[in-house]
Amino acid sequence: MSAVPLRRRLDRLSASLLAAALAIVVLVWTLAPIAWMVVSSVKPTAAIKTASPTWFFEPTLEHYQDLIGAGNDVRPFAKNSLVAAGLSTALAVTLGALGGYGLAHWHHRSKRHLAFWIISTRMAPIAAVILPLFILFRQLGLIDSLLGLTLAYLSFNLPFAIWLMSAFFADVPPSLEEAARVDGCTRWQAFWHVVLPTTTPGLVTTAVLCLVFSWNDYAFASSFSGPGSQTLPMAAGRLITQGGVDWGQLTALGTLIVLPMVFAGLAVRRWLVTGLTLGAVTGE
Amino acid sequence: MMLPALILLAALSLVPFITLIVMSFSEVKLMGGIRFDNVGAENWRRLLTDADVRASWEISLVYFALTLGIEMALGIAIALVVHRVTWGRNLLLALVIVPMFMAPIVVGLLGRFLTDSTLGLYAWVLRCAGFEGDLLAGKTSALLTVVGLDVWEWTPLIALVTFAGVSAVPAPLLEAAAVDGAGYFQTLRYIVFPSIRRVLLVALLVRAMDAIRFFDIITITTNGGPADATKIIPVRLYETAFRFRQLGYASCIGLVMLAFSILMANAFVRVLGDKGLTR
Repeated sequence: MSAVPLRRRLDRLSASLLAAALAIVVLVWTLAPIAWMVVSSVKPTAAIKTASPTWFFEPTLEHYQDLIGAGNDVRPFAKNSLVAAGLSTALAVTLGALGGYGLAHWHHRSKRHLAFWIISTRMAPIAAVILPLFILFRQLGLIDSLLGLTLAYLSFNLPFAIWLMSAFFADVPPSLEEAARVDGCTRWQAFWHVVLPTTTPGLVTTAVLCLVFSWNDYAFASSFSGPGSQTLPMAAGRLITQGGVDWGQLTALGTLIVLPMVFAGLAVRRWLVTGLTLGAVTGE
Repeated sequence: MMLPALILLAALSLVPFITLIVMSFSEVKLMGGIRFDNVGAENWRRLLTDADVRASWEISLVYFALTLGIEMALGIAIALVVHRVTWGRNLLLALVIVPMFMAPIVVGLLGRFLTDSTLGLYAWVLRCAGFEGDLLAGKTSALLTVVGLDVWEWTPLIALVTFAGVSAVPAPLLEAAAVDGAGYFQTLRYIVFPSIRRVLLVALLVRAMDAIRFFDIITITTNGGPADATKIIPVRLYETAFRFRQLGYASCIGLVMLAFSILMANAFVRVLGDKGLTR
């Protein structure tokens, strides 16, 4: 190191200090709103409603208790959210794995068109999709039903899962499957026992992202659900339209909606880049 | 093996697509059973001369340009900063990407909470800096606020993808640049940016496609107001369909939006080129 002139070393030191300082600015910018939400959710209402921020207070769980209190119980909403998001995720991942495997092994001139169709379906504007689904669901009696909501979520989760699983399967060396076939496996056995286990990260990542997309939905739910099928984001949306907002309850509910998805998302961090760019960029 | 998935996908995409086209040529009646009355190209003719829809597209373009522009610039900058940090880089990146897992509706509500003129944290910060008043009440400040919320939620996505690209720049290339005496910004300009061009394009396309998909943040903060200042095209569509009950006309707006996103999807498939799926 002594060969490096002092000036270069000083430059390097100040560069890392600058990077650290900027990193702190970035962290404050991204995390302050979330931290403030979580802190406010355990503040007494009087401490929330001050013009200048209150930093010291007696923490309380009253807002969380209000969320399961009589007359305003969000547990049914949580159940609806879990069922609709969970069911659409399970179906999307199952069918997406099968479809994606087929797609990865299908080589035909028209594959480009198929790929284009799948990605267009995934990227169709939600507002435009709601219109025909609203009509179709009214005809089929799927308004205010969790099945309808599940199908609506599948309209974006299924193309996403097919596409992403296909990208993960494309990375599995073909020799693996060939070896299994030589050993006497049927195509299905080779898929189930040999290929699928190697794409476990792909399956989990696909599942997590499908879950996040559907759990976080508000537009579909607010158009299709009725009293029997409202989801958590809708409960949050309703809290603000009632005259006089109860910010304590709202921040508590926001925290409950956000935290599970943050942990789920961070759990698959290594494969997030692949997942969010639909396999177009591979991370690390 | 593809069959079950493709059949369900067809049911979920082609059937609604055809329905949407039929709707765009009809007056859709909901009362007393759903009825489509054929009105020919009337909805489409109206679309061509509708100043409100035109205004919404113009706001959308401003909104997209601002959000995508700021998100790309800021996302690249954050990726480069994170890349320079040596200690705790993984934790730093994990913390930076937290906002993008949040439900947009919660982001919108949080935005209202933070900018509330009587109790908001950010309203208080602004008051200390000399700015009084409700951010969501003024036309320009409302637009900038919803842009700011979108930027806050989705810049991390650009940063994450760009970081993956920057990390993948071959080390020998960087060493060679250092040996040749290239400074930091020269290295960025001549080595790093050329090698991550494709990654940046993918990030931009993914964001652009999502930008026209989501409108929850605006719905819950301004719902298009004040005085239509934030009424981007999906908000206009939603209002036309479900407030004014003109589902046929709204379908025309929807099909134009769909055409927009299909162009984007086409570009995406092209960028993928012979890699992966289109192989």
